[in-house]
Amino acid sequence: MKHLTGLLFAFVLCGCETVQPWERGILAKEEMQWQPNVMEAQFRNQVYASKEASSGGTGAAGGGCGCN
Amino acid sequence: MARDDRNPTLLALTSSALLLPVYQGASADAPPEFTEVGVRYSRYKEDDILGRNAFGGGSERYKIDVAQFRMLAPVADDWSFALDVAWEDMSGASPWFVGQVAGQSPKVIMSGASIEDTRTEVSGTTRYYYDRGNAGLSLTYSDENDYESKAIALDGALNSDDGMTTYSAAISTADDHIDPTQGSVPTNTLSATKDVSSAWVGVTRIVSQRALVRFGVSYTYREGFLTDPYKYKDRRPDERKEWTVGAGYRYFFEEQNAAVHIDYRYFNDDWDVQSHTVDVAWYQNFGQDTIVTPFIRYYTQHEAEFFSNLLDEQARYFADDYRLAAFGAFSYGVRLSHELGNWSVNLDAERYRTDESWGVFSGEVSPGLVDFWRYGVGLNYVFR
Repeated sequence: MKHLTGLLFAFVLCGCETVQPWERGILAKEEMQWQPNVMEAQFRNQVYASKEASSGGTGAAGGGCGCN
Repeated sequence: MARDDRNPTLLALTSSALLLPVYQGASADAPPEFTEVGVRYSRYKEDDILGRNAFGGGSERYKIDVAQFRMLAPVADDWSFALDVAWEDMSGASPWFVGQVAGQSPKVIMSGASIEDTRTEVSGTTRYYYDRGNAGLSLTYSDENDYESKAIALDGALNSDDGMTTYSAAISTADDHIDPTQGSVPTNTLSATKDVSSAWVGVTRIVSQRALVRFGVSYTYREGFLTDPYKYKDRRPDERKEWTVGAGYRYFFEEQNAAVHIDYRYFNDDWDVQSHTVDVAWYQNFGQDTIVTPFIRYYTQHEAEFFSNLLDEQARYFADDYRLAAFGAFSYGVRLSHELGNWSVNLDAERYRTDESWGVFSGEVSPGLVDFWRYGVGLNYVFR
């Protein structure tokens, strides 16, 4: 895990080609978003969180529910 | 990228929702150009528990019907407002406890078809956009017969000078009240509370004209009544500290006119639970208006230190809840998105299956592991 973390940090913080603002059209496509369908993701993540012992990871956690 | 060239979808805000992150985007530097509204219906249905895993034979488990509404609107020049509402109708049976007859494997005793509840959640998010990022405030209220939750969250994003890197952070706190319904099974409390505090920091980096990468870490602290009120044999610590490390990657293949999404999360807590989650999705364009997305997810978790099918009730903590057992899960499915002018329709279906042997961590095999189907249909409209 430590090695993976180090690799990811290195990857994120260096070694990327400069992409000018006018060259970012592809990155703006719907299918390139982190979460293209917000409503589906809301329910899907709620289901996973209520049936598994883990949750979160892409933001701060919200409130809970009495989900069985 | 010129501000006016942005796809409104890119600017979609993240709503604060149940157990959901309060920040998901990295590039929303301007409010949405047009108001968007969406409605959605989803169904979640667990497979019947098999006769060999339950005393009294196989029986139906849990199901949920969900209706959702979402609106995202620009406000003045630099603000936006998002409203999310969800209604859920839940019914069915859930494992009550695990027992064993001498010489046989452990089996669950189901609660009977005693669960009948509805939940309403309302979440509002207002967001301010400045030259190099945005900041949001979310309030969420969730109410059901036996549970009430109030949450507040703040998040912010700051772009580097060249716009290649976005630094993000989010904090939240939630105040939950539990008042278990007194019915056919005894409950572990008559009334209790729990609090959740959480923080997340992340970095998103443009790798190339076709690639993005994201890295983030989070910490969540839960305190209060963390025991399942409806489980017969369940007593958990009154605090839990959770860590996650996550990474995501997006790459667009021009020749195939498709994008791949790869996400990974490592989870660890002081209950000795740890897990690995890998999500992979392939967003395939067909023409200008249609995207078909097959996806697969793998999840594996280590059991909680106090999990056991056959409990020592003299121990300080114990639980036979299958959700705290070691197991592996594969889920797979497909999404379809199609645009018709200002309208868009979304369909999706997912199959989730669990098995103790699919996990990378060994442990006791819980007879209560769950398989389920999830599917939904949504409709969105943009007021252009």
